[in-house]
Amino acid sequence: MSTDNVLIDGCDTLPKLFLKVAAERGDRIAMREKDFGIWQSYSWNDYRERAMEIAYGLLSLGLQRGDVVSIQSEDCREWLWADVGSLLAGGVVNGIYPTYQARQVEHTLSDSSCRFLFAEDEEQLDKYLEIEKELPGIERVFVFDWTGLRGFEHDKVDSIESLFEMGKSYRADHEGLVERISEEGSGDDRAALVYTSGTTGLPKGSILSQRYIMCQMSFSPDYLRLSKDDEILTYLPLCHIAERVFSGWLPIAQGATINFSESPETVAQNLRELSPTYVLAVPRVWEKFYSRVTTAMSEATWVGRKAYETGIKIGMRRADKMIAGEKLSALDKLKFVIADKVVFSNIKKMLGLNRAHSAASGAAPISPALLKWFLAIGLAIDELWGQTELGIITTTRKGVFRIGTVGPAMPGTEVRIDDNGEIVARSVGQFDGYLNQPEKTAETIVNGWIHTGDVGELDEEGNLSITDRLKDIIITAGGKNITPSVMENELKFSPYVSDAVIIGDKRKYLTCLIMIDQENVEHYAQTHSVPFTDYRSLCAQPEVIGLVDAEISRVNAGFSSVEQVKRFRLIDVLLTAEDEELTPTMKLKRSFVCEKYSDLIDSMYAGKASS
Amino acid sequence: MSAPLLEMRNIETYYGPIMAIRGVSLTVNEGEIVAVLGANGAGKTTLLKTATGALDSNKGQVLLDGEEIQCRDPDWVARKGIAHVPEGREVFPFLTVAENLAMGAYNRRDNDAVAADTETVYGYFPALRELRGKMAAYLSGGQQQMLAIGRGFMSRPRLLMLDEPSLGLSPLLIQEIFAIIARLNREQGMTILLVEQNANVALQVSNRGYVMEVGGMVMDGKSADLLESEDIKEFYLGKKEEGIRGRRRWKKRKTWR
Repeated sequence: MSTDNVLIDGCDTLPKLFLKVAAERGDRIAMREKDFGIWQSYSWNDYRERAMEIAYGLLSLGLQRGDVVSIQSEDCREWLWADVGSLLAGGVVNGIYPTYQARQVEHTLSDSSCRFLFAEDEEQLDKYLEIEKELPGIERVFVFDWTGLRGFEHDKVDSIESLFEMGKSYRADHEGLVERISEEGSGDDRAALVYTSGTTGLPKGSILSQRYIMCQMSFSPDYLRLSKDDEILTYLPLCHIAERVFSGWLPIAQGATINFSESPETVAQNLRELSPTYVLAVPRVWEKFYSRVTTAMSEATWVGRKAYETGIKIGMRRADKMIAGEKLSALDKLKFVIADKVVFSNIKKMLGLNRAHSAASGAAPISPALLKWFLAIGLAIDELWGQTELGIITTTRKGVFRIGTVGPAMPGTEVRIDDNGEIVARSVGQFDGYLNQPEKTAETIVNGWIHTGDVGELDEEGNLSITDRLKDIIITAGGKNITPSVMENELKFSPYVSDAVIIGDKRKYLTCLIMIDQENVEHYAQTHSVPFTDYRSLCAQPEVIGLVDAEISRVNAGFSSVEQVKRFRLIDVLLTAEDEELTPTMKLKRSFVCEKYSDLIDSMYAGKASS
Repeated sequence: MSAPLLEMRNIETYYGPIMAIRGVSLTVNEGEIVAVLGANGAGKTTLLKTATGALDSNKGQVLLDGEEIQCRDPDWVARKGIAHVPEGREVFPFLTVAENLAMGAYNRRDNDAVAADTETVYGYFPALRELRGKMAAYLSGGQQQMLAIGRGFMSRPRLLMLDEPSLGLSPLLIQEIFAIIARLNREQGMTILLVEQNANVALQVSNRGYVMEVGGMVMDGKSADLLESEDIKEFYLGKKEEGIRGRRRWKKRKTWR
């Protein structure tokens, strides 16, 4: 594919564009974050000044073009300041998940030959201190939040404020240096490293260039429909490519305002209070919204329930027509307006979706039934598809409802299906390989095309649909090929199932490990007088097992006998983002789970299965 | 196994609009000491009050020997055999020690046995014997706590419920009181449900424990296992693994496993 630069406003790199637009936008609000419970605003000027100070500060410490700077923090304003600041100085930014344990942190820091580290707070700093000896390459560490560290002294560790000061004084003597460095930059420069959690082996660091970033930026506002007046909530980890695109890069390109959620636990409240105009979420979040509504409805008054049922019927009929591409009659429109006024607007208000003009789902497959439900209540969710190696490269288009597909490829990108069914793709802004892993890179990029590891199909309109991960496809002992994600997504659509992993490779029949949705199952137990104490005992209650059994039977009904799940077990440990069973976006890691719970799995194959 | 002596199932209790207990289940078997741990406001006292009928639950059942006793009058529950030793002693201040003990046996007509039980109480708490003619208000905190436990014992309950017996007592006195609690259980076969903030002593004497947080149960198990749990160690026993800098301020996320 061509290596022409992607230009936005005549700029071929993020630093050039940032310096230009930040000056133009001046006092407009770039980001908001809560401080002691009160929203504080930061303008583009603030964004620029802090980033500049960080850039000059790092330059004063001898940062050279291509040196790696790591950021180990939850999402916060300093994350983006440090990100842009490092890029302005010519650095390469590596985001580290704050949920990583010290051992995992060490791998990415040493693999990337990181020189400078930004740590969020005491907790993140402690991880570095634990592995300090193994990391002589780290020259300085800057801490965003110094709380609890008063009196702490260390040659390498300082607060971010002291870096601002260093930057200010260096800038006074070297005015114009950052602008010069940014002018010298080109689209080929390395800009970021994104480590993807290897389910097998250690994480691999994808090298992303400035061109990659510019390419992602160029998709807005036409395809990724974020524009300058939008408000978005930042809550997925910024280390993850999806949130980095939407909260880091697109706002620089378009000028949208970002709002940081207070913590991963307060996302629902923050959504309600902000009511963003564009909502990006992973399927797990969309599932949660849906189950919250169904739970609320099961407890609503008779009148409320009837109103909801009637409304949904109207909405579903409208959704069917929209999917079929039929024109809506005046009566359809009128009915929907009424249903929206009476029912849907309240639902959307309750979820914080009432101002959203667009929404998107990505990072994992989502159940088509769920997308249709949202369409029925009047929220069209775009499905995005991509991966770290490619960026986001397909999206469903506005006004076209091909539910179950992730839409056609965006300009500058191409998608085709390989002989073995694997999706291969390329983009002007694709990654430049894995750091220090030439063999892995050669396996992934073949003749310029990236082998995605996903299996899928293209329809005649070029819409891509994803079947599953190639390596996740199950071949049963009977030789039947099964794509587990289809059924897993159906299961996850149930309010009681948070995640599911189907097992059955080289086995006689399919089985399933289920992670229950704590909130909804507890609620069920409560309303049905099922006594339990903690999570483990909840999972052990026969009524709860029966409840999941009913969900499995419901889903089984849609599949042929060999494709049905014959036995299942509940994972009776409440997993958190710190646990290795989950990805940072809270998905169960199939291979890890299969290994860790192998006894549990074997127990499902012991004895004779009842069908 | 026979039915538990006390069983609480999915209890929900409100204070006005506020749900203080959100679906709590618990069992106490005959002859056991069961501890309920939790921070202030976790709902421990509410749980006991719901069991005795001092508060009515909005949902769920309380079973004593398999019989539903929820939402009955407290005096009826007391006659059924649950004695509640409330938080902060609550002895009758203007009655003497002996009168306070007699109040504990208010429902009993077997005067000989009552006299014998009074002696038993004095046996366990010799200090009370000397103070029998004194007004309870003049007793020290520790003595009042002993009196309150003694008064509870005087009704010869099936189940003795103690709400924070360590409240406001010196460490030495706490050791003493808990030693007596253990003896009451061992020697008198008294079944005890113990609510405590002082996790260490409570888990030392009890057979099983429950941990409550914001109105719900988050963990339960054998006391010996709970003492070994990382979260219990950090959040209730104050044992932090030393951080790399010698001390750390941040807390791990609780997982309760």
